Amino acid sequence: MNTTISKFSLLAAFLLVAIGSGTGCRKELLTALPENQLAEAVSFETPDRFLSLLNGIYAQCKQGNFLGSRYSVFTDVRGEEFLNETGNGVTGLQTWNHTVVESTNEVNYIWNAGYQTINSINIYLEGAQANSRNLGNDALLANYLGEARFIRALCYHSMVLIYCRPYTDGNGSNLGLPLRLKAERLAIDNDLARSTVAEVYAQILDDLNFAETNLPATPASATIRAHKNAAIALKARVYLGMGRYADALAEANKLVPAAAPFKSPTGVAHELQANVKTVFTNYTTTESIFSFPFTTNNLPGTQNALGYYYNPAPRGNGEYSLNKAGSGIVADSVAFAVSDDRRGLIIIHTNNKPYLNKFAAGPQSTDFGPMIRYAEVLLTAAESEARVNGVNQRAVDLLNAVRTRSKGTAYALTDFADADALVAAILKERRIEFLGEGLRNFDIMRLNNPFPAKANVAAIPSSSNTYIWPMPSGERQVNKLLLPNP
Amino acid sequence: MNRIITTLCFLLFVVASAMAQRSINGTVTSSEGEALVGATVLVKGTTRGTVTDINGRYTLEVPANGTTIVVKYTGYSTMELPLGTGNVVDFVLEDGTTLDEAVVVGYGTQQKRTITGTVSTIKGSDIAQLPAQSFDQLLQGRSPGVNINIPNGVLNNPPVIRIRGINSINLSSIPLIVIDGVPTYTNQFSQNSAANNPLSSIDPNDIESVEVLKDAAAAAIYGSRASAGVMLITTKRGKSGKTNLTYNNWVSWTQATRVPEVLNADQYLEIKNEAAANASLAGPQYFLDTIGGNKVDTRWADYIYRTGLSHNHNLGISGGSDKTTYYLSLGFTDQEGMIVGNSFQRMNSRLNFDHKVTKRFKVGGTVSYSESKNEAPNTGSLEGGAFATAGIGRLAFVLSPLVDPYKYDADGNRLPGLSGYNVANGALGVGKNKQSVGFLNPLPIIDLNRNVSGGNQIQANAFAQYQIIEGLNFRTQYGVDNLNGSNEQFWHPFHGDGLSSNGNATNIQVANRRWNFQNTLDYNRTFGDVHSIGALVGHEEQATTTEGWGASRTNIADPFFSTFQGNFTTIDPVANFQTKNYLLSYFGRLNYAFRNRYMVTANLRQDEYSAFAPGNQKGIFWGVSGGWTVSEEGFWKNTIGDWFNYFKIRASYGTVGNNAIGDFQSQYLYNSGLYGTAPTFTWTQAGNTDLSWETSKKFDAGIVFGFKNDRIQGEYTYFSNLIDGLILFAPQSPSRGIPGSTIPINVGSMINKGHEFALDVVAVRAGKFTWKTRPNITFMSNEVTELYNDSDILATTSGLETTNITRIEEAVGSIYAVPTLGVNPENGRRLFQKKDGTVVQYNHAGGATRWTKLDGTAVSAPSLVADGVVQGTALPKWYGGWDNTFTYGNIDLNVQMNYAGGNVIYNGSKAGLRDQRFWNNHQDVMNRWTENNTGGTIPRVVFGDNISNGSAFAISENVEKGDFLRIRNITLGYKIPFASKYFSSLRVYGNVNNAFLFTNYTGTDPEVSSNGNNNRTPGVDRNTVPMSRTFLLGLNLNF
Repeated sequence: MNTTISKFSLLAAFLLVAIGSGTGCRKELLTALPENQLAEAVSFETPDRFLSLLNGIYAQCKQGNFLGSRYSVFTDVRGEEFLNETGNGVTGLQTWNHTVVESTNEVNYIWNAGYQTINSINIYLEGAQANSRNLGNDALLANYLGEARFIRALCYHSMVLIYCRPYTDGNGSNLGLPLRLKAERLAIDNDLARSTVAEVYAQILDDLNFAETNLPATPASATIRAHKNAAIALKARVYLGMGRYADALAEANKLVPAAAPFKSPTGVAHELQANVKTVFTNYTTTESIFSFPFTTNNLPGTQNALGYYYNPAPRGNGEYSLNKAGSGIVADSVAFAVSDDRRGLIIIHTNNKPYLNKFAAGPQSTDFGPMIRYAEVLLTAAESEARVNGVNQRAVDLLNAVRTRSKGTAYALTDFADADALVAAILKERRIEFLGEGLRNFDIMRLNNPFPAKANVAAIPSSSNTYIWPMPSGERQVNKLLLPNP
Repeated sequence: MNRIITTLCFLLFVVASAMAQRSINGTVTSSEGEALVGATVLVKGTTRGTVTDINGRYTLEVPANGTTIVVKYTGYSTMELPLGTGNVVDFVLEDGTTLDEAVVVGYGTQQKRTITGTVSTIKGSDIAQLPAQSFDQLLQGRSPGVNINIPNGVLNNPPVIRIRGINSINLSSIPLIVIDGVPTYTNQFSQNSAANNPLSSIDPNDIESVEVLKDAAAAAIYGSRASAGVMLITTKRGKSGKTNLTYNNWVSWTQATRVPEVLNADQYLEIKNEAAANASLAGPQYFLDTIGGNKVDTRWADYIYRTGLSHNHNLGISGGSDKTTYYLSLGFTDQEGMIVGNSFQRMNSRLNFDHKVTKRFKVGGTVSYSESKNEAPNTGSLEGGAFATAGIGRLAFVLSPLVDPYKYDADGNRLPGLSGYNVANGALGVGKNKQSVGFLNPLPIIDLNRNVSGGNQIQANAFAQYQIIEGLNFRTQYGVDNLNGSNEQFWHPFHGDGLSSNGNATNIQVANRRWNFQNTLDYNRTFGDVHSIGALVGHEEQATTTEGWGASRTNIADPFFSTFQGNFTTIDPVANFQTKNYLLSYFGRLNYAFRNRYMVTANLRQDEYSAFAPGNQKGIFWGVSGGWTVSEEGFWKNTIGDWFNYFKIRASYGTVGNNAIGDFQSQYLYNSGLYGTAPTFTWTQAGNTDLSWETSKKFDAGIVFGFKNDRIQGEYTYFSNLIDGLILFAPQSPSRGIPGSTIPINVGSMINKGHEFALDVVAVRAGKFTWKTRPNITFMSNEVTELYNDSDILATTSGLETTNITRIEEAVGSIYAVPTLGVNPENGRRLFQKKDGTVVQYNHAGGATRWTKLDGTAVSAPSLVADGVVQGTALPKWYGGWDNTFTYGNIDLNVQMNYAGGNVIYNGSKAGLRDQRFWNNHQDVMNRWTENNTGGTIPRVVFGDNISNGSAFAISENVEKGDFLRIRNITLGYKIPFASKYFSSLRVYGNVNNAFLFTNYTGTDPEVSSNGNNNRTPGVDRNTVPMSRTFLLGLNLNF
């Protein structure tokens, strides 16, 4: 019995040590930090993290639900060039047939992804300046801030194009987007009214002017990081969309010489590649002003890749074929001749339907997502030139530069009776050149043109309330100051 | 162990008497034929008695005035038999409970008589030997207040367990499950489309009892984890005496029930071509086809469902000496599901042992190891998967019957290999048709893809207990619970999910590690039969780490490979998670009872939990309860006590918590990823340093009664549970760009109220025939009383379809849909009602003016957010079960029912079954509106129409009542009498599980849950596979 008691005393003593002192040590377990995630407090602690956070903004912007693919797909398939093949509601069916409502997924997802990117930028703008001594390089800080504001302009511009009436409808007097420009972290400030379209554009231009001033002349990483010329090119597009053609021309002219050879005189020496196909196999040529990268380790994700939508199986899922009947540009064998090199970016599949083959990598889609190409700057210059100065040789030369590069028949000055005819040719050229690159919605809406009919989908006139997307239900529920689209 | 104590105590009181008139002897056995060792045998009305020996035999000297013998044994109903002229009286005890029985409560046991909290006990024997993967599937209808839904027929899909309703909005509503003192893991554990319920590690045969702690008095001792109630699982332990060897076995056949009746080829052709014509498509789009001269009319469900064969074995050895007892078991189960390719296997072993070192010093332990493997195709039937294009639950009814799954040569022979599958352009091949006929062909997916979620779990603990003085015990216990999961997924590049990545092999390992250290000091004494005192103080620590790591290999080097270890050109990390938490607690309990009449109990617990920010980690939880056993009073005993032998009134109040948030939920966190090849940091979690647990304030009041010497036992309880500080992911305007557009805040509140009734009655006892019946029913309601900014919380099924709303003054997760008013008889268009009352109609062929008012003027489209209306609660307002056991001699028959109702279900599958894309339709679509059938109940069919029947947004047309009565189990057993020559007993039995379902619900099953355990989206039936029905043959053998 005595031994048992002493054994017990021993055990009791051991336990007391285990409970008492042990608990003290183990109290550290109460303040555990994650080992694979970074705490906010230390996010701007080193120069490397300034860069990683900036890259995080780019990565957010190119996420599948935003500019990396779906935005581009959705804005293109609203137009007449594509036919829906799968009837799948999660891959844009309702966008294609103009039946989206405020609760439709893409209406919410694009909005959410866009504003998440914007808030990351706003946090970055505040955080990077507040912690600038951790970076210790003011010139680099200016570059970084310029990059962030370039992306913010790109985000707001992309969104104002689809959720709001065109600027050209009432000179920006219609309801625009809620302009979020401050870092949002806490559970406050849910309510914010929509600014006007004009106010949104003013902010976009302000960001782009800042970016132009502060961005480096050459990007830190070719094509996939912002640089001065990218800001200028985007500004040209923005002015074109606003109908401010003289301004668009002025911006484009910063990158386009008065006469051929057309090659950017400043910054990156942008020029057209000899063969347009090159642009879709070598993603970092001087023709690509800004693109989003995808790699085998950084893929777009399920149902997110451009190739997934446009390539037939097995490289993609053939969600959309090209509209070879009626209104589709593929049906136009005059402007878009059979011999045109750009026909080589289209394949006829075994089901006898044409499919876009620009994003041909697959099934792992490592094609970059093109945002701005030099060809666009040239056609922006051509169109602005024609609209500002009427039919003129430079406009025709710029048009021909893009057209003849792909063995299209050159236009002569005399082919155009008036500026409208020249503009019409340029607009058609844009459809041929940028097929599937996310510009069709922009080109239809900035001119307040109807969305043409296709298959069994009727035309949508600009007066229709389905001409633009509704305000998303997620925002409507929480933001009490948000007015719906009429 | 309790039985031994009972026995010992009893011996103290027994005084052998030599005054007997005659000697009676006999045996006491269980209804399974097991000899009951140490059963108390008494002469009624006296203190004269004895206990049975290790063979269950007794000899008792009975005085002349003795007329009746009473036998008591823990865990069995007390039995009385009158003395006749013979001197041999054998007793066969039925399972049952008595008031003197010890009931497992938190960190100890308590006599049922003195308990003042609400505790229900489910006996292990009630749930062993039935077809299931895990014990929790078998608890349906067995205890008042406990509602269990089997989500569907996917094997080992974790059931939805709700004790007194949903107790949270965003945190888990699954009760804390404690196995032999150590809390374990719950809910879906799989990382792929094979379901995996960690509770399936436990062999139901090893369970002695399941105690359900429902009110604050019972559960407060578990503090911040007890909000959703607690289930204490006690596994079997050995008894000293002869070695007991048992072998249990069953074989079962399982099939899908209520598979939707879809159109055959001719009907499909008629409907779809009519729809095409109505959509102004040129000419017919679909055509009949033949193969080898036979018309193609594919019944896809026949390729997806099958009769699954399962078998189950359990071998148990238990026994021991006076000092050492043991329980050793081995189990093996191999089950096939009703879905082709769905299977479950488990091998398990357990050793429980107890050893008395000295009279005062005891040690013991448990070691349990279990290995399991779940395999399933992508069923689209687990939470989040309802809209998976490869989900075969939907493919079973959505695909066109006009094409065959296979391709054939001119002679009608199936083409070899992959070319033999009817696949084209990444979809089911269209054959002669002009439009698509299906998303995917399910057969190559079933044949070529593989999803396995396996795992192993070690649950072990060791304890030492020392009696310091009489009644005062110190106990220390250290336990570990390690759960490892290995998930393997292979998607073949040929078709389906693997197509877009050109083959994908993803392996994910998950490791959960937990240690738990408990020390308690327990004092229990009764002074002079008057004052019973119990006191407990304790300390507990628990640390858990959860780690996952995996990789996805894509772009297969050669289709020869079919495993992760083969060659692929790309590898990406997936499922890398790494979290940990720690809980440090002190607790105590005080019981006092005066002459077993007046009882009070108080519980107190302090928890500190690592998931909250410093300053908010510490919380105090408590419960008090009191009871009055009126039937112990003299005035009662002397008046009605003879027939109304037991009556207790009790009440309790207290607070418990819910801390089931993410381990780092209070923190603002950035994740790292890639931009091209550059590393990134992106804000991914908005935290909240003010975050704290949710608090449940529970009030309980009730009565417990027994009539006719407990032949009729019953209870009634009223409960009310006010849950405050619900953590809501407060919706932030998406334009603020907060990750997920939410921030967690303790801001909501809701209340669960209800009434529970239960009876346990020996209805008939006539000769060899007995009928025992145990009905229970719970009536309850849930009401949300506070939300962030009073904003509704909309919730989606699988992220795509908004089906539920959480709104103030409604029940959590109510069904939400746009009202529809049938079909306009004038033009066959679906009628919808907007919020302002305007009735609008939809014509899919209407071009720019698809939505019109009844007068034809164009109108904007209705939307769920603007025009949705709450359709009713998705939570049953009443539910329960009714268990009946009939025995006649060697024959036993058990009929167990469960029922629920008062709720509505969103039958989303109905939207799919009426969708006018290529999708096949339910037979009811034949009654569509046409010019010759203007009374048709289905809108005029227009090809491509995904609006009219609810595919675009939820509509009230698809909301249905969920009332049902199910005959859950019918079991017929027979004890073979002649077998006793060779064995102690042999019983054979047959069982039908899910035998009958009575319901007006038109979907597959009113219990279906497409969203698993999600609190915000209950009651949705969307694209899941149906339930199964199982036929079983089994035997129980005791050597």
